[in-house]
Amino acid sequence: MRRTDLGAIVLFGAAALAPLVVRNAFLLDALILILLWGSLAVAWNVAGGYAGQVSLGHSAFFGLGAYAAALLGTRWDVSPWIGLIVGVALSTGAGLALGYLSNRLRGPYFVLATIAFSQVLLIVASRWRAFTQGSEGIPVPFRPGVWTLGFSDKTPWVYIMLALAVFAYLVQRYLEVSRLGYLLAAVREDEDAAQALGVPSRWLKVAAVAVSAALASVGGTLWAQYVGFVDPFYVFSVDLSVRFALAAIIGGVGTALGPFLGSILITTLETYLRATFGGIGAGFIGIYLIIYGTLLILVVRFVPEGLAGGLAARLVRRAPSTPA
Amino acid sequence: MLLAGVYALVAVGLTLIFGVMRVVNFAQGEFLMLGMYAAFWAFTLWAFDPYVTLVGAIPLFFLVGLLTYALVMRGVIRASHNVQIFTTVGLSIALQNVALVLWTGDFRFVRPWYYSMVLHFGTTAFNVSQVVAFVVALALTAALFAFMRWSYTGRVMRATAQDREAASLMGIDTDRVYALTWAIGIACAGAAGVLVAPIYPVYPTAGLQFVLLAYVVVVLGGLGDMAGALLGSLIVAGVEVGGSYVIGTAWKEVLYFMLFIAILLVRPAGLFGQRGAERLGM
Repeated sequence: MRRTDLGAIVLFGAAALAPLVVRNAFLLDALILILLWGSLAVAWNVAGGYAGQVSLGHSAFFGLGAYAAALLGTRWDVSPWIGLIVGVALSTGAGLALGYLSNRLRGPYFVLATIAFSQVLLIVASRWRAFTQGSEGIPVPFRPGVWTLGFSDKTPWVYIMLALAVFAYLVQRYLEVSRLGYLLAAVREDEDAAQALGVPSRWLKVAAVAVSAALASVGGTLWAQYVGFVDPFYVFSVDLSVRFALAAIIGGVGTALGPFLGSILITTLETYLRATFGGIGAGFIGIYLIIYGTLLILVVRFVPEGLAGGLAARLVRRAPSTPA
Repeated sequence: MLLAGVYALVAVGLTLIFGVMRVVNFAQGEFLMLGMYAAFWAFTLWAFDPYVTLVGAIPLFFLVGLLTYALVMRGVIRASHNVQIFTTVGLSIALQNVALVLWTGDFRFVRPWYYSMVLHFGTTAFNVSQVVAFVVALALTAALFAFMRWSYTGRVMRATAQDREAASLMGIDTDRVYALTWAIGIACAGAAGVLVAPIYPVYPTAGLQFVLLAYVVVVLGGLGDMAGALLGSLIVAGVEVGGSYVIGTAWKEVLYFMLFIAILLVRPAGLFGQRGAERLGM
């Protein structure tokens, strides 16, 4: 699997060098979003790909992270870094609870439980006016400085998102090569057999969901600070959860580089369409999402192993001596 | 409480598709939304009353169902759960946004002449459209029950639901059964959409509120269990009314999602479903 690391080094290296060469704010914005959505797809992939716990409620953790930092910042003037940690704590707790409680559920039942979970949070965030400002959402004030995550330039954001992306990538690689990773693979492929062999399948799945939740929460906090606004109907939406899953599925479920490849593809598509149809809000979003839905149907049908999986299979076929 | 009929119709379609095909259709709400638009356009362009539209809408959505089955579902019917889930999710996103691009996100209303008419039963007053929606939805649900129970085709469908392999060995063309099941399920959603058009605003994500409820109903009654879905919709409608009375309309949704999660945790197979179904992901 060295090929994956080589790809990752090229990808992240290019991202690290980009701000030195590119000064165009539009392109840097695209790069930041590619890294961010890629990391969030990783978060989904840890649960959905490596542990086989397919969720359509991951926006719940993203939203918890976004709200934790935004609320602490606007109400008590707390640094978003502390907000980030609080968000991670909340999401890990919620992930443990969700993972533990819905542990026996498989297939569609688990998916339905995760959707319901994110919907409950959406209702609380949009109806609890006194605390969350309800459906109006929360504007995140711009306060310059590293401690308050306010930058007049895009460059620091590139490196912050890059750090997150590299960390997320390493988490996945750990899940591929460590003992823990093999145990997870065993649970994913055949849970009953794994359990019979003494693999603590229950705890592994719970742990994977919790780690995945923590990662999604970090992404949510950073996204809210970068964009500067938290809208409950966006951050807790099912569409957002699908987006995380989609990037991972297109890129290759259960592969370390896949989520980033998927993110490059869909973020570029989105940015391109935004530039082309810019201005006409509904038209742009609609066309983008039609393509996105159609792409999802086509990919799961014809290339279920995704870009990374498909490429790897082709390379292996071409050179049979390559170790898989 | 009268909405129980509509919930039942949506939920029965959903549970039928799940029961026979083992697919959770995440796009069910979008077909309901398309039904609402069908009623809206027929009313606006040709001044067709929604109940006239209903007669044409059922075969129309049946055809739409056959078409989407052939184009989208046939290829994934034997694939894993995850592939099926994401296929219907993709279908849902695509349909929602086709509506958004074609008809914008504006709220639209169907206002037939009887729209503000009220019927009195004792001391309570009911909107006419709600009463009609309730009665017609229950009648359609009952017709579907009868079809499944007594017709030859219904028996074939139930046989396929019980054991796909055995049915196939008995000479049942399972592909045709699936196409039929899917089309009937979609027709239920389309009919429900036409029925609620005079009551609710029509917009591209209008289906979501009904389908989320339908999931609650279906899980409550046991995924795949049609009688369970009917009883489940009564319970959910009751909880909804009771909830808005006790804790206010703003929070009633929390109540039924809590109910939903509680059922998933305590008895995921539903009130009438087979125990252990959730473990197999059946």
